Amino acid sequence: MRRLLRIARREYLAYIRTPGFWLSLLLLPVGLSMIVIAPMAVDHATPIPRIAIVDLTGQHLEGPVAYALAPPGAPPAAIVVPAPGGPFASSAAARAHLEPLLRSAAPENVRLDAAAIIRPQGASVTVDFWTRNVVAGGLEQTVSGAIADAVKNARLKAMGVDPKTLDAMSPTVSLYSPKAAAGKVELKDRLPAVAGLAMGMLLLMVVLTGAGMLLNSVMEEKTSRIIEVLLSSASVPEIMGGKILGVAAVTGTILFFWMSIAGGLVAVRSPQTLADLAGVFLQHGHWAYFILYFTGGYLMFATLYVTVGAFCETSREAQTLLGPMMIVMTVPAMFMIQGASHPDSPLLRTLAWVPLFTPFMMAARAATDPPLWEIAGTAAVMFGVTGLELWLAVPAFKAGALATGRFDVRLFFASLGRRQKG
Amino acid sequence: MDALAVEGVTKRYGAFTAVDDVSFTLGAGKILGFLGPNGAGKTTTVRMILGLVAPTSGRVRVLGEDDPARVRDQIGFLPEERGLYRRMTPVQAIGFLASLKGVAAPEGRRRARELLVANGLGDFADKPIKSLSKGMAQKVQILSTLAHKPELVILDEPFSGLDPANQQALEDLIRSVAAGGATVIFSTHVMQHAERLCDQVLLMARGRKVFDGTVEAAKSSAPRTLLLEGRFDAHALEGLPGVAELTATPGVDGVNLISAALTKGAPAQEALREAFARGLDIRRFELREPQLHDAFLVLTGGGDS
Repeated sequence: MRRLLRIARREYLAYIRTPGFWLSLLLLPVGLSMIVIAPMAVDHATPIPRIAIVDLTGQHLEGPVAYALAPPGAPPAAIVVPAPGGPFASSAAARAHLEPLLRSAAPENVRLDAAAIIRPQGASVTVDFWTRNVVAGGLEQTVSGAIADAVKNARLKAMGVDPKTLDAMSPTVSLYSPKAAAGKVELKDRLPAVAGLAMGMLLLMVVLTGAGMLLNSVMEEKTSRIIEVLLSSASVPEIMGGKILGVAAVTGTILFFWMSIAGGLVAVRSPQTLADLAGVFLQHGHWAYFILYFTGGYLMFATLYVTVGAFCETSREAQTLLGPMMIVMTVPAMFMIQGASHPDSPLLRTLAWVPLFTPFMMAARAATDPPLWEIAGTAAVMFGVTGLELWLAVPAFKAGALATGRFDVRLFFASLGRRQKG
Repeated sequence: MDALAVEGVTKRYGAFTAVDDVSFTLGAGKILGFLGPNGAGKTTTVRMILGLVAPTSGRVRVLGEDDPARVRDQIGFLPEERGLYRRMTPVQAIGFLASLKGVAAPEGRRRARELLVANGLGDFADKPIKSLSKGMAQKVQILSTLAHKPELVILDEPFSGLDPANQQALEDLIRSVAAGGATVIFSTHVMQHAERLCDQVLLMARGRKVFDGTVEAAKSSAPRTLLLEGRFDAHALEGLPGVAELTATPGVDGVNLISAALTKGAPAQEALREAFARGLDIRRFELREPQLHDAFLVLTGGGDS
């Protein structure tokens, strides 16, 4: 155990001393922050568009449109300005006058950015929306929505119907479920599904990140023959265990940092959501459930990668072997997303019994509180397979570590489980 | 007490026999030179001594234990193709490897620094290994096999890659380790190192032991050679008493150098007397005692070392 911990410590320190570790640690929060901050920064830097409303219908639609574009107490979506050269006798005249203004290179604070020409079309109205920005569609939608509401309300009034009566006719739907804590489904009742999916995705991320680290670590030691020195100093389980534990500590540190930042942000914006989320992990022994599958899943994949790494001498060989595993890993990734909305689907329940997929599928199914026999059964299969894998991997690791030359598929399979008999 | 006892050890990989019925013992505090051509089975034997590979048959007793894993803390091992963790400093690397052998981390680092200073690497103790020269890095790795004060040190080709000054320093280091009571086994292709250092040499060829004994005993298995230089050819020396084989090296102006390999126990004087009696134009003669290199060639049947 002492040697295992020494190897784990060296592995951990070796990684946290690299610039790559600190980049991994900081880049994700910075990247996520940028996703939030960048649109806000762009919004702040972009001048509020100036729009002219030309109403040729005589229904006084400028008022509702101006209200929709600049509601009291909210940041304006646009500044409504009087149509230069108006009033106009026709839409053609309005267009002829306004179109050149939309082409002009006037300063942003005085120029015209958009114009809505509202004209009658039989019993309805048509809106010709002119804009400098053909990409952004938000302004056009706000204008058309406001006109539609105004026209609808005017028609209802003309028919002697109060628009509020129509609103009152819309039913109020409440969602109930026996699985909801208070009967009525609330956000916190949906959180287990979100947490399960998040844990599954987290495990996937840890497995993929750890895979690269473990492969590279073993490969480096094999290439430099340090592995022989290690093998003469510690047992294979101690070496493998040390590496797996060390890399787990590295990924654990990164995840702890990321989750602390995420938790902090959630706590600032919505302390109740954080409390609900904490409740998800504490209720029904979910924390133990997640630890069970997280540990089993990581151990199963890490053992595989360490063993394969012992047979590789170049990163090209490692990449070649890693490729098929990545393809296999896409399967749980796809089904986990489905699992969040249909956790009891028969397909997911079946996949949960496939050891390679068990930890991911069961994490995604956490929301439905699977029966104890399913948890015990899938965990037993998963840990059983992991145990068998370890039993096979110990002699294979040694054979791979002592071998030289390119990856030898025959040697790999021949060495699996071959205890030293001579 | 023997530090190492290898008894009838054989290792087979399928139909291939890497090591065939090898036996030898090595007393505590002795230095053993492990010699043999490439593919002789040296590395496999070393791996069996270390417990990395189990023998197909036979027994290996290391420091009194049948299972080398039980005494791995008392063994220091330097593999042939070597490297170290490039981003670690010498102190960290030596300290780490010593800690795997049961030395407490602070003590390991203290010993590492002490060894580095004693071996002229004190100024590089805290620099990353990747910034060290190849020779320096190699010395660091050699020191890493000693920091835990092992009772048995196994060095695979420790001299390769070192300049003459560092080779001499390593010879001194090996002597001091043995003088401290540790048993040392090293393999080498340079016979002079083995001649100067070893109490015992073990020669292997094609998986079999071909010699086990002292350097002097090994040398005696090779013939002494009578060197004769003069204006005559090898045919003129045919039939000299005690001469087993003649080899001529042409020189300038018709002066040749003839090597006359003597049969075991044959006195050189008789052959020399007969050569003079034949009235040959002998300008120089020399009786050359066999070197370990000659013994190596004889015992292994030639081949590259």
